[in-house]
Amino acid sequence: MLEIIALIALGLFAGAIAASLGLGGGIIFVPALVVLFGFDQHIAQGTSLAVIFPTAIVATVAHARMGNVRWRLAIPIGIAGIFGAVLGAQIALRLDADLLRRMFGVFLTLLAVRMAWRAWRMNSQPETEPEPS
Amino acid sequence: MNAALIKAIALGAVAGTVAGLFGVGGGVIVVPGLVLWLFVSQREASGTSTATIVASSAAAMVAFGVGGNVDWQAAGFILIGSVVGAWGGAWIAERVNERPLAITFAVVLAVAGIRMMI
Repeated sequence: MLEIIALIALGLFAGAIAASLGLGGGIIFVPALVVLFGFDQHIAQGTSLAVIFPTAIVATVAHARMGNVRWRLAIPIGIAGIFGAVLGAQIALRLDADLLRRMFGVFLTLLAVRMAWRAWRMNSQPETEPEPS
Repeated sequence: MNAALIKAIALGAVAGTVAGLFGVGGGVIVVPGLVLWLFVSQREASGTSTATIVASSAAAMVAFGVGGNVDWQAAGFILIGSVVGAWGGAWIAERVNERPLAITFAVVLAVAGIRMMI
């Protein structure tokens, strides 16, 4: 029961962060499931994908209604993405969970650095406050 | 084949591989790829990226699911929370300064990333 509440809370938190920072859920689900819930790396990733898929369908419908989907690009990217995803998943499934977890850690840290860098520069434009340079 | 189509296919292949390898959507690759490489506006890049994630996440999910690597029940509970959370997040986004939120969150991700590396 406690785990069910914690999982719903994780969804709440990830959904809110994703909507307010424009960030995908997977970056939150996978580390949370591994670090906080003790999931095996592979199961954390598979579970993350099972949440992303329906979320993406709903989000696509909303974006498409507002005319924000360029289908002539989305279709070739999506089709190539299917082949890439199967390849990536096959690689992941053949890797040892510890190694995959470490690789994910590197990926996540790089993304965090990029995110911090962009956020840092975000308000250094003159209109808000002058930064000492 | 025109250049944009070749770029789109290359972008999809790379993003899909990352998505399948790490169990993420791939938007972290598709969005900057669309903006910087295919000159799509940020708003259209988000929408287009989301549409591509439907395809790549479905394929990767099936691949993981066949191997028994999906906890469907846990996914269901997270999904319930995230639907409500997305709603709340849009509300928060209008009222909170994005910069400190993004920096704080980046630090949390970095800590989690380092923790997973060791």
